[in-house]
Amino acid sequence: MKSYFGSYFISPGAEPVESSVLVFDKKMSIGFRNPDGSNGIVHWPLTEVVVSYELSTQRTKVRHTGLGTELYMEGKEAAAFIKEMQDDLQRPWHKKNNSKDWGRNLLLLSGFLGGLVLLYFLIVPWLAEKMASTVSVKTERQLGDAVYDAMGLSAAEDTAASFLLNEFFATMEVPSAYSVRITVVNDNVVNAFAVPGGRIVVYSALLKQIQSYPELAALLSHEFTHVNSKHSTKSIFRRLGSKVFIGLLFGSFGSVTSVLIDHADDLKSLTYSRKLEKEADIKGLEILLQRKIDPKGFEDLFHHLKEASPASALPEFLGSHPDIEKRISYIKESSKNATIVVDQRLQSIFEKIKQ
Amino acid sequence: MLITTTNVVDGRPVQEYLGVINAQSIIGANIFKDIFAGLRDVFGGRSKTYEKVLEQAKEDALRELAEKAQALGANGILGVDLDFETIGSGGSMLMVIATGTAVRL
Repeated sequence: MKSYFGSYFISPGAEPVESSVLVFDKKMSIGFRNPDGSNGIVHWPLTEVVVSYELSTQRTKVRHTGLGTELYMEGKEAAAFIKEMQDDLQRPWHKKNNSKDWGRNLLLLSGFLGGLVLLYFLIVPWLAEKMASTVSVKTERQLGDAVYDAMGLSAAEDTAASFLLNEFFATMEVPSAYSVRITVVNDNVVNAFAVPGGRIVVYSALLKQIQSYPELAALLSHEFTHVNSKHSTKSIFRRLGSKVFIGLLFGSFGSVTSVLIDHADDLKSLTYSRKLEKEADIKGLEILLQRKIDPKGFEDLFHHLKEASPASALPEFLGSHPDIEKRISYIKESSKNATIVVDQRLQSIFEKIKQ
Repeated sequence: MLITTTNVVDGRPVQEYLGVINAQSIIGANIFKDIFAGLRDVFGGRSKTYEKVLEQAKEDALRELAEKAQALGANGILGVDLDFETIGSGGSMLMVIATGTAVRL
């Protein structure tokens, strides 16, 4: 904005009155005193005025094309400024004086968002996994024990079955830095899970469903892979990492937004969870194949899990595990030409478990 | 329209006092500017990004002040004073308050 003094002709042919003039980017305002002493103000859009500089009087002349009224201002500075504003108005938006700022801001915005996406999807998870892999076996064991104790499962433990399952797994001779401890818990949930540090919990209801020793071997080697590959610890660190990242980014956001962001983050962590489950299936299968145990154990296990959990009717992207059919198909794919030898020791322990 | 920080204008006596007027402008230095200004904070040097924002806020406040003066029939504003404040969480926004006396010279 610039301000000037001027002589304003209220109507064509009238006496000029002293006026104060403000020139903005789209309009100009002329304030003046009417002959009756009252204040008057008119606004002229810059698109409706013609501006010129009169060399003889050294004044800037502005004429309203519609009204035919005129305004004079001393010097040529006003003429130059009004013309500049008029030119700027006619320019398309991307050629305006501030369009460079727009372009730069847009570039910065996309760079910034790109950086955030990169951080959230790649760098934070990578860092979290790196940190998880530095956690010692001892610390993981303490963490796992704390989780197990907090769940209050020890009261329902079936010690006899636990002993046999531990014996079964020891007979499989799977080398590991972790000392694997399997606990059978009396419960009607058809499930099993691994906590960090080597503890595997198998619910009695799932154990009842299992009909063959390869199926039990499949279950244990799947859960063992979770332990051995630090899946739980990695998940904890990843969740923590993305929570901290989101917290830093959206710290003071309202509750609705934080619920949305939380759920989006949950969906992302489910993707990771499915990846880990697949890894546990594939590595578990390798354990079976190396010991010449029938890989069909996995298929049987999946069938039993499917019968027990109607929740698997959910679309895959909402599930923590891959779709059962998919699991069966990649297990079948990876176990072609498998050599199978019946292991009498495992068979006899399994029979004891089933008694 | 004459806008000045002085109380009198040489050679142009005040004919009429039209009252005290003020105008505010509150402007945020957007998130990118904050980041770049933050870098300046680390590396030193002039923070042009904040200077531009401050300049813009001052322009806006003075423009509003001039419009108010014009509406009162004034052709000058005397004793203009500019106050700068930071507001918003973490002082992320700038407020400029322009005050002056609308007069007819």
